[in-house]
Amino acid sequence: MSPRPPADRPWWIVAAREISVKLRDRSFLLSTAVTVLLVAASIAASALLGDRTAEHVVATAGPEAAPVTARAAQALAEEGDDTLTVHGTGSADAARAAVAAESADAALLLGLDGWTVVGRDGVDPGLARVLERAVADATLAASARAAGTTAAELTAGAEVRTELLTGEPDRGPVRLAMGLVFALLFYLAAIVFGMAIANSVLEEKQNRVVEILAAAVPIRQVLHGKMLGNCLLAFGQIGLYAVVGLVGVNVAGLAGDVGWVLAASGWFLAFFVAGFAAQASVWAVLGSLASRPEDLQTSTGPIMTVLVGALFVGLYAEGAWLTAASFVPVVSSVAMPVRMLGGDVAWWQPVLSLAVTLGTAWVLLRAGERIYQRAVFQGGRSLGWREAARLER
Amino acid sequence: MSTTTTPAAHAARSRPGGHVLEARRLSRSFAGRTVVDDVSFTVEPGRMTGFVGANGAGKTTTMRMLMGVLRVSAGQVLWGGRPITAADRAGFGYMPEERGLYPRQAVLDQLAHLGRLHGMTRRDALAEASRLLERFGLAGRARDRLDSLSLGNQQKVQVAAALLHGPAALVLDEPFSGLDPVAVDAMVELLRECTARGVPVLFSSHQLDLVDRLCDSLVILAGGRVVAAGEVDDLRRAGPRRHRLRCEQDTGWIRGLPGVHVVDVDGPTAVLELADDRDARHRLLEEAVRHGLVEFTEIVPALADVYREVTR
Repeated sequence: MSPRPPADRPWWIVAAREISVKLRDRSFLLSTAVTVLLVAASIAASALLGDRTAEHVVATAGPEAAPVTARAAQALAEEGDDTLTVHGTGSADAARAAVAAESADAALLLGLDGWTVVGRDGVDPGLARVLERAVADATLAASARAAGTTAAELTAGAEVRTELLTGEPDRGPVRLAMGLVFALLFYLAAIVFGMAIANSVLEEKQNRVVEILAAAVPIRQVLHGKMLGNCLLAFGQIGLYAVVGLVGVNVAGLAGDVGWVLAASGWFLAFFVAGFAAQASVWAVLGSLASRPEDLQTSTGPIMTVLVGALFVGLYAEGAWLTAASFVPVVSSVAMPVRMLGGDVAWWQPVLSLAVTLGTAWVLLRAGERIYQRAVFQGGRSLGWREAARLER
Repeated sequence: MSTTTTPAAHAARSRPGGHVLEARRLSRSFAGRTVVDDVSFTVEPGRMTGFVGANGAGKTTTMRMLMGVLRVSAGQVLWGGRPITAADRAGFGYMPEERGLYPRQAVLDQLAHLGRLHGMTRRDALAEASRLLERFGLAGRARDRLDSLSLGNQQKVQVAAALLHGPAALVLDEPFSGLDPVAVDAMVELLRECTARGVPVLFSSHQLDLVDRLCDSLVILAGGRVVAAGEVDDLRRAGPRRHRLRCEQDTGWIRGLPGVHVVDVDGPTAVLELADDRDARHRLLEEAVRHGLVEFTEIVPALADVYREVTR
């Protein structure tokens, strides 16, 4: 005799529908597949460019380096096609000069406290690794020949320091490229899934499905479900690109080169989710105010401006402007990860910025619910924000 | 939420035990304009109640208030004698006026979605949706997108959406518009099954012949107010009772008979209103027999006549 209990977690049922409909949408699947291919192709391209056979020239200052370079050359030959040529000079200074003058890729020098590998603006990771091992082996061998040594003494002096003459590694171009990737990914996902939310709300309004839904479940839950569904889709898509990128980088053997990007990428994902959530309710409201899909083309102007702003900040902002932008909700989704690519951002800054964005998301959600609940039942004409807020339901 | 109920089991469980759906002094105004004004009526369990009125009379607004899609300006909606809750309404079946489902989603998928929002498991919803589509002759279109169906067939899917979850009450805004006669019959059969389970059914329509055929009770709205409500038979006989008299000769003689009000005389046929008086009837018939009585019958007005009378 008891009536059927109302649906359990209707927001999740709504979200699941959003996702399943989108996953059957051919244009969505196609654009995702194309992007995955682009990511894979760009990694393959950089791997091909980076995978040329290297001919390492190592400058040395005296005969004591010979056993080490011999071992290193042997190790390289065992591993692949890379070769090692010894460029003998008379002194440490001459060896350093050879590196500075680019007549050698690196110098291997024996000082009072052990061996040093000297590079110009970087030492090829492959070369550094081989030299390091060769030094360790050679030192151990030499020490073993001396009688009465301890194990600690056997390994003493087997540490290798890397010294760069020009200081910082040159990450400028990579940083710029990653900034571009972050900005574009956010911009595209925000528009693709934002529009999906707006159109989905509008579809229900235009076809009056929303009346059936409102009679069955609290209408706010429909809004929440829609936003959640599209957030998950957006996050899933970004996650897919990230996985393809990471797997690709590992397969291509570039991981050592881009490891430092990963930390910033992790933060980017967090900022992506928060920034997307903050603007999602704006899209839902735009959908509920429109009466036809054409209305969206004009009414989406302001939010598009914000998103384009985020895109340009990611591409061009520097210094104080970038710092300021990294605390503006939505824009911060691009600006803060870009800053973090540059390093030296105190830990509390991204945390604070995230909190600001999440707070904004909550306020926008509450305001969005108010307008959505009123506007979505007003069929037949498009409404303004203020008009909708004043409506009675 | 149970996961193992069969459609038959949930139909049994959703048997409402005959609750009354009641609108009590409902009013609604938009920007100062009163659209529904102090409307009261009941929809009895197991009864088919027709809701008629001109365009703009306030039918749709009233139904939207019953379903909670629109807030009431004044008055309340009662279910089983107490103020209705959102949970009560979640168990109702509703068909809105400018209807539509998701145009680009497959028929069966969206029915399953709506069933789940009404608290059904996906399996139950799919089974019940398939059963209803079968009855409407749409089983072969279950995987097609809604907008690939004709408007009449889309309407049938809409009906299925309202009936899917074994509703405890039905509020249907123009459910028959756009249906072919066969679909009307299928729909009527389904509605009769609902009323047989004790479900109160309210539906609006402009097709008075259909309302006449189907309804037990009627609510007539004009200008946002209830102008007539009650049992269809009572409403029909609410006006003065008229009789038709036909004789072999001219019936002009009935003018001036006491207790008889002549409405119309046309040669041998007359339409008259008879006072509730045994002697007057007796006198009339005696006189009629003398003039060659052929026919004396009570005129039962068609619903259309009742409607025209009360909305005039």
